[in-house]
Amino acid sequence: MNRRNLVLLLGALSVGGAAVLWRTLASLWRPGSAERTARTMAAVADVMFPGVDGLPAASTLGLHKDLIASPDLQALITKGVAWLDKHAALHGAADFVALDEAGRLAAIDAAFASKDDGTQPFVFALRQQLGTAYYSEPAIKSKFAYTGPPQPDGFPDFQERPT
Amino acid sequence: MSGDVSWDVVVVGAGAGGAAAAYGLCRRGLSVLLLDAGPRFDASTDYPLTQADWDARGFPEKPDSTGTVTFAAGQKLNGNEPLLASGSRGLGPMVTNGTRLMEKYHHVRGIGGSTLHFTGEAHRIHPDAMKMKSRFGVAADWPLDYAEMERHYLEAEELIGVAGPESQGARWRSRGFPLPPHPLSYAAKTLGAGAKALGLGWQANSRAALSLPWNGRPACNYCGACNNGCPVGDKGSADVTFIAAAVATGRCTIRPQSPVIRIERGSDDRVAAVLVGRRDGSIERIASPHLVLACGAVETPRLLLASDGLGNESGEVGQNFMDTLFITVGALHPEPQHGRRGLPSDAISWDFNAPDAIPGVIGGCRFYNAAGESELGGLADFALRAVPGWGREHAQAVRRLWGHALHVGAIGEMLPNRDSRIDLDPTARDRFGMPIARIASSLAEADVARLRFMARKSHELLAASGAEKIYESYSSWDWFSATHVFGTCRMGNDPNNSVVDGFGRSHRWRNLWVADASVFPSSGGGEAPALTIQALALRTAERIVKG
Repeated sequence: MNRRNLVLLLGALSVGGAAVLWRTLASLWRPGSAERTARTMAAVADVMFPGVDGLPAASTLGLHKDLIASPDLQALITKGVAWLDKHAALHGAADFVALDEAGRLAAIDAAFASKDDGTQPFVFALRQQLGTAYYSEPAIKSKFAYTGPPQPDGFPDFQERPT
Repeated sequence: MSGDVSWDVVVVGAGAGGAAAAYGLCRRGLSVLLLDAGPRFDASTDYPLTQADWDARGFPEKPDSTGTVTFAAGQKLNGNEPLLASGSRGLGPMVTNGTRLMEKYHHVRGIGGSTLHFTGEAHRIHPDAMKMKSRFGVAADWPLDYAEMERHYLEAEELIGVAGPESQGARWRSRGFPLPPHPLSYAAKTLGAGAKALGLGWQANSRAALSLPWNGRPACNYCGACNNGCPVGDKGSADVTFIAAAVATGRCTIRPQSPVIRIERGSDDRVAAVLVGRRDGSIERIASPHLVLACGAVETPRLLLASDGLGNESGEVGQNFMDTLFITVGALHPEPQHGRRGLPSDAISWDFNAPDAIPGVIGGCRFYNAAGESELGGLADFALRAVPGWGREHAQAVRRLWGHALHVGAIGEMLPNRDSRIDLDPTARDRFGMPIARIASSLAEADVARLRFMARKSHELLAASGAEKIYESYSSWDWFSATHVFGTCRMGNDPNNSVVDGFGRSHRWRNLWVADASVFPSSGGGEAPALTIQALALRTAERIVKG
């Protein structure tokens, strides 16, 4: 535990605030590599494909887990997560997950703009794979008009202004 | 049956040409063995358009349904062509290395061939596009004219049940289309308003899709997914039209998953047999009193070249390759359109289809409503292509803009050139050890000039329709993604510069015929080729029977 964290912990204990204590302890907990990747990827997924208008966010649908399980993406994910954490650290956060939404979005934008090896392909691949999965989910599609299967009914209203 | 003569004619390839040839032969009393390298498709199980994930599937791939080709190096792209560069706002540019991307030859192997996957436009070629050399000094003339084709067009249209308008200008008709035209979709009507504002013609496309029940097949229900395979049976793919009719004669035997790997020469300038690969790797010899090749403009020349250059006395087998000169442009309209409702390519403008219709460049083109063919059938595709970025703004834009896409497509003439050809890959082999086809394609300046015109006019049409925010454009300038291919066994009267005569018969080999788009001396001004292939194949069949 470094000095900064110790001061935070003592401070939390001194004020006795349970919420503060919990947040501080949580920030000190260092998950294993796989768990850390999963947390980061869930956060990335939700920044890239958040739920708007009452739609669920990508991680709620578990989409980030499919990415993590994909052998083809392992190298990109490892490299990308490390880059995002490093970027977060440079901006005063413990890691990517510790950033707020605006900070996370800025980090992903910066990764896509970066010339560092593998970072732009990382973001591009996530956009493609997560985006395809997200907008293919029945829970999402059902909230958009004319996304159902084209058969067996076809589109009887094809000549008319869409409803 | 090795070596025994069991059929009057062996037809290789069960797509548009082979199916029509088989039908034309069977209905005149000949027995036919129809071979295809690919499988049978079952419309009830292979085209699952009732499933929630239909948009993630596309046209199905089955064992042996896709062939393998290789590509020669892509053409170096000359200069900056902002109107022609392929890419979208969401995905960025497709090509960044200055070299034309040789991506794919879209070809389905199977009983029905690429018609299983095709949109189903049913076009006659422009009469003047058959006389490119004598009228315009480019490409080559067809050794027949439109009038000689007309009754074969009628026969094909009748069997298919083509639905079309009263008139199509220069493509005169001795009889109307069998079925009335399909009503235009809402998106097509939006584009029609733009066309009217520009003074362009805009009419119902002639379609191999039933506007009314026909010959036991039901009418189209406008699901918009023709390219995924039609589970209804209204689309006039070769399996439910020509092949069904050929089988009904009792004289057609169909053998799927039977690739012909070599043609055996006989005596007296006749071919003797085909060697067919079996699933277990063994080879079967099938005698062929007459042999009709209908494998398409890539595989037919490959098979001839791989058979020690059979039929290549002129040196023209594989030469004169022409591919699909195309552009599609997508834009966002202020009002929702939901353009995938209705028939793909339901409306068309023929105004620039004549070979001399485009100012300053020879060779025509046509424009059409391209919503259905632009692979924007699904929400995911739209979200990633039409809307850049990610995050809340992206999500809100997808919510707001879904359904607002309009697409205009244009397909134009590609003139043959000596850098575009099919040859045998020097190293790659199929599982029977035979060389596979290598595709080389190069666009000449005239083709690029035609593409520029097609792009400009597409932008104008979208803008006049109210859709000004272009979000993507894809063209064959930097992207080889060909569906229509032509010219590699050119027909002509002169054996020195053509492979087959005007009936599709080899100039030398008296029982060897070709019945696919490889015989086209010119590509036409953007017409979909299936109907012309079928009309030519019917003509070839008639000639075989007449002897």
